Amino acid sequence: MYTDLIQSLPNVIAWTNLAALVIGVLAGIVVGAMPGLSATMAISVLVPFTFGLEPLVALGLMAGIYNGAMYGGAIPAVLLRIPGTPAAVATTFDGYPLAQRGEGGYALQVAVVSSAIGGVASAFALMLLAPPLSRVTLLFGPAEVFWVAVFGLCSIIFLLGGNIVKGLISACFGVFVSVIGSDPIFGNDRFTFDQLELLDGIHIVILLVGLYALPPVIDLLESPLKTDGGASEHLGTQPIWRTLPRMKGYWKTWLRSSLIGIWIGILPGAGGSMAAFMSYNEARRASKNPEEWGKGEGEGVAASETANNADTASALIPALTLGIPGTAVAAIMLGGLLIHGLQPGPMLFRNNPDIVFGFMWQFLFGAILLVFLGGSLATNSFAKLLKLPRPLLGSVIIILMLIGVYSIHGRMFDVYLMLGFGAIGYVMDKLKFPLPPVVLGLILGGFAEENLRLALRIGRGDWAVLFQNTTSLILVALTLAVITGPMIKKRLLKAKASNGKA
Amino acid sequence: MQKFIKTVTLASAFLTIAGAAAAEFPEKPIKVIVGYSAGGGTDVMARTVAPFLEKYLGEGSSIVVKNMPGASGQIGVTEAANAEKDGYTLGTYNLPGMMARTLDRKADYDADSFTYLANVVNDPNVIVTSKKSGLDTFEKLLAEAKANPRAVTVGMSSLGGDDHFLLTKLQKMTDTEFTIVPFRGSAPARTALMGGHVAMGVLNVSEVSAFKEEINILGIALAERSEFAPDVPTFKEQGIDLINGSMRGFIAPAGLPDDVRAKLLDAFNKLEGDAEFKAAMKATANPVEVVTGDDFKALNAEILDLAKAVWAETPWR
Repeated sequence: MYTDLIQSLPNVIAWTNLAALVIGVLAGIVVGAMPGLSATMAISVLVPFTFGLEPLVALGLMAGIYNGAMYGGAIPAVLLRIPGTPAAVATTFDGYPLAQRGEGGYALQVAVVSSAIGGVASAFALMLLAPPLSRVTLLFGPAEVFWVAVFGLCSIIFLLGGNIVKGLISACFGVFVSVIGSDPIFGNDRFTFDQLELLDGIHIVILLVGLYALPPVIDLLESPLKTDGGASEHLGTQPIWRTLPRMKGYWKTWLRSSLIGIWIGILPGAGGSMAAFMSYNEARRASKNPEEWGKGEGEGVAASETANNADTASALIPALTLGIPGTAVAAIMLGGLLIHGLQPGPMLFRNNPDIVFGFMWQFLFGAILLVFLGGSLATNSFAKLLKLPRPLLGSVIIILMLIGVYSIHGRMFDVYLMLGFGAIGYVMDKLKFPLPPVVLGLILGGFAEENLRLALRIGRGDWAVLFQNTTSLILVALTLAVITGPMIKKRLLKAKASNGKA
Repeated sequence: MQKFIKTVTLASAFLTIAGAAAAEFPEKPIKVIVGYSAGGGTDVMARTVAPFLEKYLGEGSSIVVKNMPGASGQIGVTEAANAEKDGYTLGTYNLPGMMARTLDRKADYDADSFTYLANVVNDPNVIVTSKKSGLDTFEKLLAEAKANPRAVTVGMSSLGGDDHFLLTKLQKMTDTEFTIVPFRGSAPARTALMGGHVAMGVLNVSEVSAFKEEINILGIALAERSEFAPDVPTFKEQGIDLINGSMRGFIAPAGLPDDVRAKLLDAFNKLEGDAEFKAAMKATANPVEVVTGDDFKALNAEILDLAKAVWAETPWR
């Protein structure tokens, strides 16, 4: 198998394939940076055009876009507190405060280095471990996936910040939105009001753009005369060799977040946003000064950005080997593979090794290219955008949002929906309701419901099905550890303190 | 002068009408609406068929595929049913899904809304079992289902689809009862099967051919064996006349002009004999079965009756 890996290398470095990769990464950064446009959409627009292309050119474009977009989402997240993609929500927590302090340049450098590290780790996992890791996916039936979702939902508790009641209300709102649409088992309509457009539920990008992108823009337009943009105009950009030493303490976070991203990637259904949230949460728990997080801690940006790139290639592990995509992007890529006559499954590695392994190399190179293409070039051009007068900047962002949301399904309905969420987001923002729990509630709420119901059908109504195997029990234990961890730690510290006195 | 202008306008208007009548269909691009995302099974079929259709529609014809995903294909097919009846807008069509949608929810179309052009793909169902289940023959599976009603869990893609209809037929023919576990698509159902989370699965042959060593394939719901899985016996061979599958094809809005309809049907009819077309379809895992015009319409009616019967007896929602 590893000889196939090496033999496929010369094909990948043919200039057409490399050019496709470069174009893909650049296009991905741009698409990711625009609120409303996502990698999923860019690739689904691209797939039909790749019909006549050489397989590796087509796949190179896709691999490039995927990696580029996952970083691109960080740019507006840091500079404007608007996540360019759902997976960049956690990047706003510390990225934006950094930018407000005049360290936006540093935050973006952390983002690009972390994205590249996550991407490289993910590509290695795909190259070296695809077949054995696909076995891991098989261990996760509905019951186990349900526990993964519960584990993720528990991390909401740590994202609530000050006001737990407000946080829980936000989370409940997210869960409510996840319920809209056809019921995942029987297909009954729920809260669709006979609107065909609501049958498939509400697309996360519509919610995200309305909730996150609209309120800052309204703020921007409310005080049009202030000169400093949404973030500081002052990026404080320094050459990367000067900022790298500042990141030297991040290696633990890079390692941990890469593993979390890879792990979430190979689980069916969970995507980059969940990886980013969980890795942010874990990094903060491990930090010596968790109280600094959310106020501009570079390590927070590192955690989120490493993880959301680390799930890119690993999401393709079950996709290629079992035909089951870990993320929406992976699902569309599967279609792209099929168009080129590549049937996913165990036989793929035997039938088309040159292309499959070539595709894996492209993921690796795409991740490395990020450092060169995503660094100064992209950052500086977007920073210029921020120097625009506020009313103009606000209008540009609104137009991008409208285009992005309209192009998901090509209909105005979604645009109105987005504006509605924008109004809700604005009010929530003013009343200081936290927004991240809404996103997590939407993603994980639906995920938990569907898998719980599937598991109960498998168990024919017996709840014991949820505790029947080792994987489930391990996940339950992990969840309990996360919930009780802080309390136990506090107690131990207290005990130590009183021992010291004695 | 004014009279002159009038004459010229009239004359040119007349010429335009005459020109339109004389021109051969198609004189502009034909749009094919696919009700699913780019890269899905139906999309891949439409894009694989397109160049061959262009070839048979003649010099200069061109096909543009437009994806309108949503509501299990219902948004796209509704759009196609309500399009101009000029042959420049076609739609893809899935059976039994599109007819099932008219029963289980409010639909803005029915069986009479379409000009039936051609069914192109028939992806027959297969019954598979998990290696862990120990049910490695169709006989053992039926014995277990009879001995312990509802004990066998069945993973499938969704209710109201071909998988569901196959299981309903099987339960009726063999007087058995299974527990349905409807996943969000065939791929997660297949994975649950490979992981041993469900005992049995109903899938389509194109979805299992790459996984022969990972699961037991017990039988195929075709009249004769499939070239996609020649070593899998039909159910007929095993004593049960169970035939069912997922079909994908093309429709246009009802009431196409006769000459346009004839030209389109002619092009679809020629697909069957094209070896290059068949090779392209095989490479994208699409088992070909071309049924055109009135035969396709009859097939649709037959499946609608089946869907109605299933709906009346065991409504799935």
